Amino acid sequence: MSIIYEVVIYLAVGSTYWWWSQNLTVFGLAPNLMFAAALCAAILAGPVKGIAWGFFLGFYADMLGSDMFGGYALTYTLMAYGVYIIKRHFDMDSLFSQLVASLALSWLSILFYQGLVISFSRPSNLDLRVFLSEPFLNALVVPVMFRIFYQLKRGLGVL
Amino acid sequence: MSREKDAANYAVVFFAAVSILLLLFPVSKIAHTVRIAASYSLYPSLHYGARYTHYVRNVPDNFLLLLETDQENRALKEKVRELEVRLQNAAAAAGEGERLAVEMGLSRALPWKGVWARIINKTPADWYGSFFVDKGAEQGVAINDTVLGMEQGHAGLAGRVLEVYPKFSKVLLLTNGAASAVGSIEPEGLEALVEGKGTWMLKMNYIPEEASLAEGAEVVTSPGGLLFPPGIPVGKVKKVYSRESFMNFITADVVPSVNVNTLKEVFVVRRNLPKELLGARQAEKK
Repeated sequence: MSIIYEVVIYLAVGSTYWWWSQNLTVFGLAPNLMFAAALCAAILAGPVKGIAWGFFLGFYADMLGSDMFGGYALTYTLMAYGVYIIKRHFDMDSLFSQLVASLALSWLSILFYQGLVISFSRPSNLDLRVFLSEPFLNALVVPVMFRIFYQLKRGLGVL
Repeated sequence: MSREKDAANYAVVFFAAVSILLLLFPVSKIAHTVRIAASYSLYPSLHYGARYTHYVRNVPDNFLLLLETDQENRALKEKVRELEVRLQNAAAAAGEGERLAVEMGLSRALPWKGVWARIINKTPADWYGSFFVDKGAEQGVAINDTVLGMEQGHAGLAGRVLEVYPKFSKVLLLTNGAASAVGSIEPEGLEALVEGKGTWMLKMNYIPEEASLAEGAEVVTSPGGLLFPPGIPVGKVKKVYSRESFMNFITADVVPSVNVNTLKEVFVVRRNLPKELLGARQAEKK
């Protein structure tokens, strides 16, 4: 039963991300909900499930984009693994650690993704405005999404 | 713990390998088409840039044509909107040019010297009372200069200059409740007082009761009036009221010869009234 809930949550996150970036942008900027969801899932779920969530959320982001395929899937997969390593040493449930992690991992993810873009001979599409502002928007969203995922985990047994 | 760590390692290797395979191996034509269609429908703005062709390579030609048609359609819609705005501006400019040409022709035929002025401000609360024009003392406009409006190829009395500033002036309209002019009823030349009512209509007072006044009779400014040059059309009699038992004159409604609602420009006639006369009037006011 929980797998159905997880699929529903997965699709809901993807749809919300699409709707937000289409209708709720401020000066063309919006938080990356896929990133936030991947980070929260990696914090709350076990290692395998967390990595799987990272991969599938990245896959969804790849489907929405028109650039190279598989870039976000690889980025979020590695990010989820990194979170698994980090959370063995730090308390990732606290607000402060989530803020720091979302800021640092946002920038690392963007840089890693751009590295992939350049490696696969595509023209880089890095927008400096997004690079400078999106991590902060993500940092605002991650604690909220963490609370939602936490409640869903407790209520529905997902993650 | 070690078992969990192993599972995590296997998972990351597996999913990373799948991701790299997706990156390395170009997706099939059908899959790529589906992906482009999905992303185009969700994020059409992504495809507006110059790199559009880079993204849509490896898709069937008919699908590419469909995308290009959609893009062309959006561009054409934008262009149509822009052209509609230009057309409206051009129509307004043409109308203004035509109107100004007629007015300029008329002003040459007028026996008075003056200056054209554009109406720059009308106050909704005082619509039939006054407005401002864009000519002032620097252009030779003086207090009590006569203001004419042009309508249907004829000049008509609109009002007089009430206040003068260096670059603009305030015009008191004849329709203002405080404005009046001595009118002469054609063809007999009977004089009566034409007064504003604060509405679009004028009222004519003090008409001798023996006057044979007919509806449609034309009223012009009287030579006896000091403020306005004689012979300027003021309006036409619309309705004549019968004499009240306690009065020995009759009244009438007059339709102004210029409609202040449609005025865009006015002709300010320089009166050069004697200063002594103005001084006396000012003293009277006080």
